[in-house]
Amino acid sequence: MKAIAEPHHELGEDAAEAVRLVAGMLRRGESGEALRERRTVESWTANEAGLLSPSTFEEAGTAVRVRRERESLLVARPGVGPGALREAVRDAARRAGGAPFFKAHRAAAPDARRNEGTARLLGEERHSALLAATLAAAVPDPRGLSISLTVSWITQVRAVISPKELLACGSSVRLEAVATVVRESGTRTLSFLSALPYEKALEKLGSALAEAARPVSTIPPPDGEVDVVLSPSAAAVFWHEAVGHPLEADGGELVSVLARVPEAVVAPPGVDVIDDPGRRDLPGAYLVDDEGTPARRVPLIVDGCVRGLLTDRRSSGANANGHGRTPDYRRPVRARMSNLVVLAGRAPMEDLLANLGTGLLVHEVSAGSADPESGRFVLLVERAQQVRRGKPGAFVAPFALAGEILGALSRLDPDLGDLAEPAQGLAVCTKGGDPVPVGGSSPAILLRSLAARGRRA
Amino acid sequence: MSEDLFGATFDALNSEERGPGHGAELYERWGTLLSLTEDDEGLHLAESSERGFALRLFRGGRASFAAAGEDGAPELAARARLLVPRARTRRGARAPAPVAGERSEDGPSSRPPSPDELEAREMLTSFRRTLAATGAGHVIAREITVSTGTRHERLATTAGRRARWAVSAATLVATVVGRTPKGRHSARVVATASRLSELPLARLARLAVDRVLLPITGLPAEPTRTDLLLDSHVAAHVVGRLAPLFFGDTHAGLLEARTRQGRDGFASSVVTLVDDGKAPLGPVQTPRDAEGTPVSRTVVVEKGRLAGRLLDVAEAGRTGHAPTGNAVRLSWSEPPQTGVTNFYVDPAAGVSPLDLLAGVTRGYYAAVLLERPDVDAAADRFRLVTAGYALEKGRATERVSEAVLTGRLSDLLRGITALGDDLKLVAGAGGAVGSPTLFIPRWKNG
Repeated sequence: MKAIAEPHHELGEDAAEAVRLVAGMLRRGESGEALRERRTVESWTANEAGLLSPSTFEEAGTAVRVRRERESLLVARPGVGPGALREAVRDAARRAGGAPFFKAHRAAAPDARRNEGTARLLGEERHSALLAATLAAAVPDPRGLSISLTVSWITQVRAVISPKELLACGSSVRLEAVATVVRESGTRTLSFLSALPYEKALEKLGSALAEAARPVSTIPPPDGEVDVVLSPSAAAVFWHEAVGHPLEADGGELVSVLARVPEAVVAPPGVDVIDDPGRRDLPGAYLVDDEGTPARRVPLIVDGCVRGLLTDRRSSGANANGHGRTPDYRRPVRARMSNLVVLAGRAPMEDLLANLGTGLLVHEVSAGSADPESGRFVLLVERAQQVRRGKPGAFVAPFALAGEILGALSRLDPDLGDLAEPAQGLAVCTKGGDPVPVGGSSPAILLRSLAARGRRA
Repeated sequence: MSEDLFGATFDALNSEERGPGHGAELYERWGTLLSLTEDDEGLHLAESSERGFALRLFRGGRASFAAAGEDGAPELAARARLLVPRARTRRGARAPAPVAGERSEDGPSSRPPSPDELEAREMLTSFRRTLAATGAGHVIAREITVSTGTRHERLATTAGRRARWAVSAATLVATVVGRTPKGRHSARVVATASRLSELPLARLARLAVDRVLLPITGLPAEPTRTDLLLDSHVAAHVVGRLAPLFFGDTHAGLLEARTRQGRDGFASSVVTLVDDGKAPLGPVQTPRDAEGTPVSRTVVVEKGRLAGRLLDVAEAGRTGHAPTGNAVRLSWSEPPQTGVTNFYVDPAAGVSPLDLLAGVTRGYYAAVLLERPDVDAAADRFRLVTAGYALEKGRATERVSEAVLTGRLSDLLRGITALGDDLKLVAGAGGAVGSPTLFIPRWKNG
């Protein structure tokens, strides 16, 4: 993410007029803002033999939002110029203009918009050459493999127009990839996201692809209770599911097992979990959230105690802590995580494995889910090694690891790994159908008594 | 102006794109979507309109794609021309041409009508009431979103196709919470239909109640050798995972290996798998696919045997068959790809799920999925985490909070001996997927 002090020129050149329009739209007792977004995507489809077809698209849009008491309204229109904002404001004002609040209306006729777009093919030729080389290096021998891959280089710029000012949210540039790797021993899926510069992101993607292309182990994993050491990458997914989602203020504060116990000790002393949108090396970073609240670092667990909640304006009004996020301008804002960071401890990996004794060393978790109400969570493990007497052994077949949040946190070994590393397994988090880029960083951790649920398909 | 923009962009394609071995396809999508959400914090209305243009250029088997909103439409051709030389040549890539007897449809873009907010509001209220009654006070909806809208699509190609059509869709998504003295559980349930009035509210409420109450009130079970009934909703998601096997010739080798070059059936002889964009009560109701090809009923498995493939224009060119109308666009900004419309197991007429139940002496009825189904056709494995009911002599005897069904996918498909007549379709595989209730006698996890 680039820090930009001044509003992006395309989204903010009419700042004064835009602010006046938004301020004029809101009546007494109402709050609201507008969001402008421009997104440019270069994509390549590829298979095991190399790149197939290139594509590019550019999309721009404006949404205005109005909140009054327990009701809110969002009107989204294509384009980011003054015309699109005027149309959205006009239609929102019509809908919000009388009783009932959401009065049915006749759609306004489209007005002529000036040409706001410019074609920007960001060094596409160089990008594709580098990508082709990365694929060839990652999969030198494609025999027996069928790969379906889409790689996208995404540039996104957003600005929020409040009744007082126009705020730049920051420009986000990221590499996203989704792949399905099929070989006779099984199918693996890969979801990848990196906010690093293109070349470095490609390096990481190459490693991830090479890993995904390896044959899947057929050694059965344990079935039943198991102790595990989660690698930094796998641990980041655990924290995301077990702490991050339950502490998103969504649908009332008493919804999740963690939100119901504020200030309670839920993890060993010395465990600190923080949501930090300011970590610019991670994909979930931003300057200002999608409602215009400055991004804030929020400690969620401090020294093992529940201390924070991630909030947006719907859940906390003016006290929101900068976590209102939306996947695109058409969708409503929700309180969401950004980058979940767990501070490192002092235990080297060898010590964690020695403490584990017998169990599993989990290297890669491809996906996870949690039910905040019951506290049940499931992690889908793609790659794990058996550990006997502290020594890693054979890799086992993919399996699911399940547990209950409060129980798992209480059985977390107080010795955390000595190195907190950015997660590979976290990419795009989808909640309620809304995908947003997220990041994470965690040390390796030792969790006891999780339930391994046999071989996955 | 709208009409001019589409026409002008198409007319601006130079003579090169109209020459032999070359071609172009211009696509436009516009529409309005209305979403009404009710949650603990109040009522929220979102109304968004979209308009996008997409151009595909074809040059000697290479293809490139560029898409933009209204403002970027005039530059699409220049951008796509820049990309096309770097694409790899693939057999079959070409601009879609009209099929025999296809009529040319053209005309100006019109402003779509606003979706009906009042009807959306009624559906929301009605679902809340149905859920409360079905859950006997133990289940509430924490959040309900009803969405409805119509998208209009228009397409022209240098090969002579001119088409325009409209597709309507309605969705209800609910986060429901079960709360009993034994515990709490929440889940997200979804229903889709082509119109608001066709949303299956009662069925969704029943599913939602089972989904959140069975894990709390039931006991875990391990299905040993037992008769297995898969509810249509559970079976639909398994069917959805099978769909990609039939996309063009991508997995031809895998299918041949699994059926020993056709000597074995793909499934038991009672199973017929079809894709039909006009299936009655199918959530997808469209006259054409994303390349403008008229949709048809395509049988991919007939009485257990492989019978066909789902083909877009490129796949059809590669395999030497006619396109089946199975190109889909996830949005206007993404290139079309092979996909499903309504993909389902053909139900058996006159056999109700109760008839199937009556034939079970000792078994398990998998009523809901607790996790995303894990189906790996390459490894010939599946794993379903379900909740349901233990059965004895045709009756449910106790609730089951969790039962993991796992084993060989081919054993499951070939072990089906009877189907119900209760075809249900759910959102999946980029379209809709469905199945009736399936009966698999003497199932053994493995």
